[in-house]
Amino acid sequence: MWAPVHGWSLLGYVAASVAAWVALFYILHRLPLRHKRILIAACTFLAGLFYTLEFFLPAHSRWLFFWGKHENPLSPLVGPLGDAVSVIYGFTIALGIISLASVHGKAIARRRSGWHNSVAFFAALVSMIVFGLWQSYVPDDPHRATWIFRASTVHRIYDVLFDGMYQPLGATVFSVLAFYIASAAYRAFRVRSGEAALMMAAAVVMMLSQVPVGQWLTHTLHGPWANLRVEVVANWLLTTLSSSALTGVGLGIAVGGLAMALRIWLGLERGSFFEAGGPK
Amino acid sequence: MKTEHANWFETLLWFVVSAIIVLAILTARRGRTLYIRPIPGLAAIDEAVGRATEMGRPMLFTFGLAGIDIVSMQALAVLSHIARIAARLGNRLIVPLADVPLYTLTEEVMREAWAAEGKQDAFRSDDIRFLSDQQFAYAAGVIGLLNREQVASAFYFGYFYAESLLLAESGQQVGAIQVAGTPATTQIPFFIVASDYTIIGDEYYAASAYLSREPTLLGSLVGQDIGKGILIFLIVLGTIFALLHGFFPRALPHNWLADLLGGAS
Repeated sequence: MWAPVHGWSLLGYVAASVAAWVALFYILHRLPLRHKRILIAACTFLAGLFYTLEFFLPAHSRWLFFWGKHENPLSPLVGPLGDAVSVIYGFTIALGIISLASVHGKAIARRRSGWHNSVAFFAALVSMIVFGLWQSYVPDDPHRATWIFRASTVHRIYDVLFDGMYQPLGATVFSVLAFYIASAAYRAFRVRSGEAALMMAAAVVMMLSQVPVGQWLTHTLHGPWANLRVEVVANWLLTTLSSSALTGVGLGIAVGGLAMALRIWLGLERGSFFEAGGPK
Repeated sequence: MKTEHANWFETLLWFVVSAIIVLAILTARRGRTLYIRPIPGLAAIDEAVGRATEMGRPMLFTFGLAGIDIVSMQALAVLSHIARIAARLGNRLIVPLADVPLYTLTEEVMREAWAAEGKQDAFRSDDIRFLSDQQFAYAAGVIGLLNREQVASAFYFGYFYAESLLLAESGQQVGAIQVAGTPATTQIPFFIVASDYTIIGDEYYAASAYLSREPTLLGSLVGQDIGKGILIFLIVLGTIFALLHGFFPRALPHNWLADLLGGAS
């Protein structure tokens, strides 16, 4: 929407933006709680109004947008507004780090049980920040030397931290899911009621349909009986019974979400942030 | 930037359903008595908080990976209710988070809950913790908390992905009474098998109305039920037209309703 700026102009824009944000945060901080709530309600209404109008007004209309190219004037603002939200989210990263540092710092200072895990947290935090930023600013060139290490060494250290440690740790937690599914399935399949029996029968059909031996069991069924083959029954369960039930659940969720959104947008919601006098 | 826009029918439908919801809210505010059916999962919240207090063990509430949106706003309303009871009974409520902006809102809601019960001094800001915005790092952190703190009650309200079963199974292993609610339809089965109570579908958005019995919120429930009725009527009408079009292609060469709504015939 706006042409990019460079050099001193960019610096000026950044400085002006930072100054505006500092002033805004100062004013917000000084405002009494009652006024803060009114401000939150006003901002929520304006933001909701913008996105509602942008979505429901057509992209092109000679009658509604009689000037220029007859295009929806709000659509070009969607991108910059999304960027502004990302910037606000960016501000909050520091809050997350402060929260983590506070909890783990206290654990180390008071020598709480497992305090050595907090030391590992600080070591991981610092090394990922340092090598993450370092490798992103230095091209992976084996002949190029940086401040302490060669550029390729910085990249290798980052790879060890990210690909060699962080990703396997994530994969390990994910793979625990396989064992948890088994224990959850064991509990669910204990037939204690009619519903549990139905659930177990459906699960057995689904599992058999996924393995060759299951499909082999009913492969001799032909003609109209072919509809009773394990894979056909499993597909019917999945695409007819299950998906229609899920569509019904989805319908309820969508209308419930709309009602919740309307309550927040129009200031009809009750509880924290929504009432001028606070929650009852 | 190219954005999506509604067609005339979507606009009309949104306007009609929204108007009905707002009218129902306004009617309820005038004092009309409204009935809400019992929802066992929500009724169990008070029992779960009381049980944790009796056992002298803390509780845990998680939003999953939800950021600031409608899902987390509803979860915040539930959290506010649980926090008020926890403050009243003098129990701890641990809230690990995966989203930093939500962390600030959560802290505010918790602080208000303790203040509303006149126990500002007992409020522990350390119990609200940002863990990580990475799915499995967050899951590992919550599992660690469930085990280390030996929580007696765990509440899962928000948006969940694959971590749902990891969390709920870990809660089972420490013997916590668990109440879960999510609009993520793919995760509902995992919560059903691993939690004691699961709130399904639109029951999730009925939570704040059910817990507070606030006329405004109860009115919106009535409005959304009428809105659902309209959508079901349209689905039935669409099915009839599709069947007629299929059985009598000569008499009904076009699916009139699908043509009208701009969909495929």
